[in-house]
Amino acid sequence: MSSSSSPEAVATARPARPASESRLRLAAGSAWALLLAFPLAWLLAFLIIPVVVVLVVSFFEPTLSGFNRVFTLENYLLLAESDAFIRTLGNTILNALITTVVTFLLGFWVAYYLALVVPDLRRKFALFIIALAPFFTSFLIRAIAWIPMMGREGLLNTALLNLGITSQPLDFLLFSDFAVRVAMIQLYLLFMVSPIFFSLSAIDPAILEAARDSGAGWWAILREILLPLARPGIVIGAVFVFVLSMGEFATVRLIGGGKTSSVGLGIQNFVTYIQFPQAAAAASVLVLVTVAGVVVLFRYGRVAEGL
Amino acid sequence: MAVMTQEQTPAVGSAAPDRGKGTVVLRGVTKRFEGTTAVDHVDLTVPGGSYVVLLGPSGCGKTTLLRMLGGHATIDEGEFLLDGVRTNDIPPARRDISTVFQHYGLFPHKSVRDNVEFGLKMRGLPRDARRRRADDALEFLDLTPMADRRPSQLSGGQQQRVALARALVTEPTVLLLDEPLGDLDRLLQLRMRVELRALQRRLRITFIHVTHNQEEALAIADQIVVMQDGRIQQVGRPRDVYRRPANLFTSGFMGDNNVVAGQVSAIDDGHVRVEGDGLTLLARHDATGVAVGQNLHASVRASCVSAEPAIGSGDTTSPERPNQVTATLIFLEYLGDIVKLHCRLPNGQAIVAKRAETDRTWDSLVEGEPVRLEWKTEDVQLLLA
Repeated sequence: MSSSSSPEAVATARPARPASESRLRLAAGSAWALLLAFPLAWLLAFLIIPVVVVLVVSFFEPTLSGFNRVFTLENYLLLAESDAFIRTLGNTILNALITTVVTFLLGFWVAYYLALVVPDLRRKFALFIIALAPFFTSFLIRAIAWIPMMGREGLLNTALLNLGITSQPLDFLLFSDFAVRVAMIQLYLLFMVSPIFFSLSAIDPAILEAARDSGAGWWAILREILLPLARPGIVIGAVFVFVLSMGEFATVRLIGGGKTSSVGLGIQNFVTYIQFPQAAAAASVLVLVTVAGVVVLFRYGRVAEGL
Repeated sequence: MAVMTQEQTPAVGSAAPDRGKGTVVLRGVTKRFEGTTAVDHVDLTVPGGSYVVLLGPSGCGKTTLLRMLGGHATIDEGEFLLDGVRTNDIPPARRDISTVFQHYGLFPHKSVRDNVEFGLKMRGLPRDARRRRADDALEFLDLTPMADRRPSQLSGGQQQRVALARALVTEPTVLLLDEPLGDLDRLLQLRMRVELRALQRRLRITFIHVTHNQEEALAIADQIVVMQDGRIQQVGRPRDVYRRPANLFTSGFMGDNNVVAGQVSAIDDGHVRVEGDGLTLLARHDATGVAVGQNLHASVRASCVSAEPAIGSGDTTSPERPNQVTATLIFLEYLGDIVKLHCRLPNGQAIVAKRAETDRTWDSLVEGEPVRLEWKTEDVQLLLA
């Protein structure tokens, strides 16, 4: 409540006074309201309303060019009966899991190197910025850049042929699940590296010294100290990468070249054919599976527990 | 240089040191960091079972020296012998030495018990054996009720005991402590330093303790090693270092010494007469290498200066009466146990006298009035270095 009403102020209160006091209270209140309003409006406009709309539309009856506002479960039943959709969903989950695991296996060491091997802070951040450099370009360009690398006449195949390792170009390098996974790992690696880097950087060097003093070798320090202490960073990185790769469609389209699919790409196709309820149902399933994955990660990772 | 030769037990405490175990000998030990010499040819002998405090301001090389003993910094030059065995290149885990790190370095994700067990686990002890020994160590340090908590759930003093338990569970012969009381509030510091001392007496192993706090060093140590600029300035029992600072640095660092820059004007009858800063001091001639005309410093501990009201305000210093001066009392600082008298000579030289509160001669002193200061010949220290 207003704390501006000192006894003196009360004693000299005039008819104008309550108005000014309430104005003051209003000003303080509206400052808070304004501060909260912006993020709230943002969430509402760009997250909650769209999700609700998608959810609602997914239960509407489809027509040739849109939908009737009639409740139906048909859209979900169609998805459940479609082998193609189930296969695509499975493939999407598999790709996301592979991407998450591989970015962890690669990214942990990048973070380890940056946080614990590079000695001074300036060099640490210089290297971190360099690692960030690909992100200065559009992610579409980064995805397209794989084509001259992995194509039939790309850099990799030419090198393999010239070295005599293969006798003919390898087809699976581009327009395949393999290619999509490689591209996604490259695209999302830094989302794994950053949180792990910050977790590892926060470790007091005295802890590592104490471990060494107690006789812990490199492997014991990794298992007993670094991995447990980096856990929050690992889980957050895994959530980033998993969520991003579950929603992938551009990379799949460019690098997969029609030979592979993802739920994201499927949704785009539904939209192209004006099958909004179908798209909405597929999107709802995707969101549900993604959220389930995140919940599992947080549970298993015990992030809320902190240290 | 400063080799500790003292073999007999210091008067404090009753237990005789367990001689031979945990004896540390350093010969010309040196550490360089890009252009600077952090530790400069240190020679030191620490008898087994003694409590040694490395004392000095930050950057004096004391922590670097400790890290070299623990195996956390390489020794660039010189030799480190532990019980006669060259230990320079033995990895930390295989030395019979444990460290209590500054800020403790406890594992935040492990319980107190797991923290303490860690060293035993790394040594490959079976689960039951290490659990038993860890529990013994916890019991020993009164930590049994905290065994299942995380370090962050403990108070500063408890965390420190966990760090001690973790370091001691592997039964080292030398325990290194890096500013172990630095993170505690003052009251706890006073209590823990007594406990540390008692712990060392019970265990009869060598403690080497680093601090910048001279009071702490005086209270705890069998031997104090005063360090500055990577070199040992003085080694001795607390009372010797306190009473007889060997040089200007030690005199300044040990606190509340009145230091006078002067010149030797005469040597006679086993006395050295020093003139300077408007004072005439007479010291015992027990140091070699003092010559007439030599410039040196002399120091008188504040608590050795007695004060009484000056009768009239005669001349300030007379050459006939050395070790005596009339000054003006500027500020009487009442500190409870003691009273600090801040005085000034007419030439601006400040002199501090410290009297016990119970010594009521100071009671009649008035700020702004002249005061007669006097000290004994044996309390004048000549600082040659």
